[in-house]
Amino acid sequence: MAMRRFALLAALAFAAPRPASAALRVVSSIPTLGSLAKEVGGDRVEVESLGKGYQDPHFVEPKPSLMLVLNKADLLLHVGLELEIGWLPPLVLGSRNPKIQLGELGNLDCSRAIPVVDVPTTRVDRSMGDIHPQGNPHYWLPPANAKIIAREIAQRLSEIDPAGAAAYQKNLAAFNDRVEAAIKKWQPMTAKMRGVKVVTYHKSWTYMSQWLGLREIGYLEPKPGIPPDPDHLFRLIQAMRAEHVQLVLAEDFYNLNTARLVAEKAGAKLLDLPTDVGAKPAIKDWFTLVETILKQLSSAV
Amino acid sequence: MVFLLLALVAAPAQAGQADGGVGAADAGEERGQPGAPDGGQDDEALRRELEKALGKDAAAAGQAAAQPTPAPETATGGAVPPVPLFRGAQSFNPDISAILDTEGGYQRRPFLFPSGDDPLLRTEEGRKAAGFTVQEVELAFSAIVDPYFRADVFLTIPNLTGLEVEEAFGTTTSLPWNLQAKGGSFRSAFGRQNGQHLHVQDFTLRPLINAAFLGLDGLRGPGAQLSWLAPLPFYLTLYAEAFSLHAPDQPGPGITLPPPVASFGGGGTQDLTYATEAKAFFPFGDAWSVSLGVSGATGVSPALFQPTDTGVNVLGANRRSYLVGADVYFKWKPPNVVSGYNSVAWQTEAIWRHLDGSADVPGGWDGGMYSQVVVQVARRWFLGLRGDVLGIPTSSSLGRTLRASTSITFQASEFARVRGYVQAEHASSGPSVPDVTFPPVQPGDAVAAFLQLEISIGAHGAHPF
Repeated sequence: MAMRRFALLAALAFAAPRPASAALRVVSSIPTLGSLAKEVGGDRVEVESLGKGYQDPHFVEPKPSLMLVLNKADLLLHVGLELEIGWLPPLVLGSRNPKIQLGELGNLDCSRAIPVVDVPTTRVDRSMGDIHPQGNPHYWLPPANAKIIAREIAQRLSEIDPAGAAAYQKNLAAFNDRVEAAIKKWQPMTAKMRGVKVVTYHKSWTYMSQWLGLREIGYLEPKPGIPPDPDHLFRLIQAMRAEHVQLVLAEDFYNLNTARLVAEKAGAKLLDLPTDVGAKPAIKDWFTLVETILKQLSSAV
Repeated sequence: MVFLLLALVAAPAQAGQADGGVGAADAGEERGQPGAPDGGQDDEALRRELEKALGKDAAAAGQAAAQPTPAPETATGGAVPPVPLFRGAQSFNPDISAILDTEGGYQRRPFLFPSGDDPLLRTEEGRKAAGFTVQEVELAFSAIVDPYFRADVFLTIPNLTGLEVEEAFGTTTSLPWNLQAKGGSFRSAFGRQNGQHLHVQDFTLRPLINAAFLGLDGLRGPGAQLSWLAPLPFYLTLYAEAFSLHAPDQPGPGITLPPPVASFGGGGTQDLTYATEAKAFFPFGDAWSVSLGVSGATGVSPALFQPTDTGVNVLGANRRSYLVGADVYFKWKPPNVVSGYNSVAWQTEAIWRHLDGSADVPGGWDGGMYSQVVVQVARRWFLGLRGDVLGIPTSSSLGRTLRASTSITFQASEFARVRGYVQAEHASSGPSVPDVTFPPVQPGDAVAAFLQLEISIGAHGAHPF
């Protein structure tokens, strides 16, 4: 702590106004976090993402070329809650970049201030599938969480680059206003979704369900990370028929044949949804991402 | 025996199909059993259709066995306030894990170039062996030490023979100028397979070049390493290492086949083994990657042991040895898995060795290589094929040995796999040093087969590419 304070003082003492050419290099594990950083960082940051939006964020190949990207980073943004545990730690160590190691200013776990759901309240083990002891990491879609992430990023950018603090706060306020405006604009779509019964492939829509008031009746995976089996799907379809489930939600990096069959047999509709910026070429930021999802959802009910 | 092996294979396959579980069960329990509106016959038809569809989809059926995801019990509902982590999760204990490799198998004769972590049945020279072994138990501890270091300790018990330190080292995390230093006892970065632990291998046995040139346990031991990530537009890391290695034990009584000549560990008490490596990586688009490496090492060879009726002749002690290695790793794996869970990895590694001459043994070159392809044919299934050759182009201390092996791996989850492994080996002769007679290997052609179960418990860190 003393070290950090000293480093801050030193940075303050020597910080000249940052020339535009020396933008802070922000690297994110998933593109949505990078996109939010661009919202609050503006011209003062350059953003690059390790994972792609059309990629399952649990399974990014830890290619050594990504160490090069991290080597030059001033700030690493990651989802946390062990979402990236299978690939990010060896990249951070191999980057040889002291600034972004765990515990440093340049390493921001974006889940820090998120009201995390699905935190196990009883003892867990892997017979339950590959469950997540720290809670559900798929939190970046709802507006309330996007605002929290943006606030955390703005605060961290201000610590790393105090000269830009005013700009970051201004951008953050503008972002929050745009989110509020978007929520108003999306209201007719979100209102339609309240109480709609859904089944999802993976338990990755919980935060969205909370925001929109969707009722999750079940999951295609019998246990997190365990592939569907006929017995489970049979029972799921029976439950879906009894509950009149309208929608089956799945990310587009899952194989959708099984999901399609289940939807068909249960009289529901399958939606193949993006969950990250860049999932489709047209999805360039958090706003278009959420809007794309809402349009697909609301036009299906 | 065969029944047992079959049972072992069947168990995880069954597990994958196991109980229906959470999602639907929740709904059922909460809201009473849903009726079966379509009646029994339709149900049967639906079940059959689901089974068929999942079978067809096996390659791509669902997302990875390893998806970290939330506990199921709190489904939807209102916001749950953040729960403070319970004490266990907030402790400063390191990540602790245990990895077990165990198998049943058959061997026509003992392996000629056994690595320390190869499975060891109750073999005797020239005799068949069949039965069970615990190939390795690995205990791993890792943690961040402080803002400047991380530490990793890997203990191993190969073939139930006693506790060894496979690796125990500290790594710096905050050196300037793209440098990183490692100190302790660790596996050298020489080549590709040498740095990897057993459970990262795609085959039950390590390649022949491991024991033949790098040592029984590979090139590992107490030492220091400095590495530098070059500030280039592509990935290039350079390594420099020094080790204090011990010579392997002389063969005991009753052994007639000489162990492989060790490259390192001889000489005086101040002789070190030095190694240097360069590793480069090139991604081509999202799906293709190529990793290239060149390595060099030099040390003092302890000797060639020639068992005789009366004891052991020690030939060519304290000769300097030089190793040169090259490796290539090529991988195709599309980032968007919707097209199926297919991937291909091709890995080839060659080592050449020069031993200086001495009064009793002439110097010379020898070499060996392997090439392997591992294809992920379905989400949980991997097929591997490997060819090994030792004693190329000619050899001053190795007989020509050829080996072909194949593996089929079923990955039940990230934490459990079952592997079938078969190899056929052809050894034309034992070591061939001029003026020194070694007995031929009996029999020259031999097969071995194993059914391996590999399981991992606890928190084990991610592996590099």
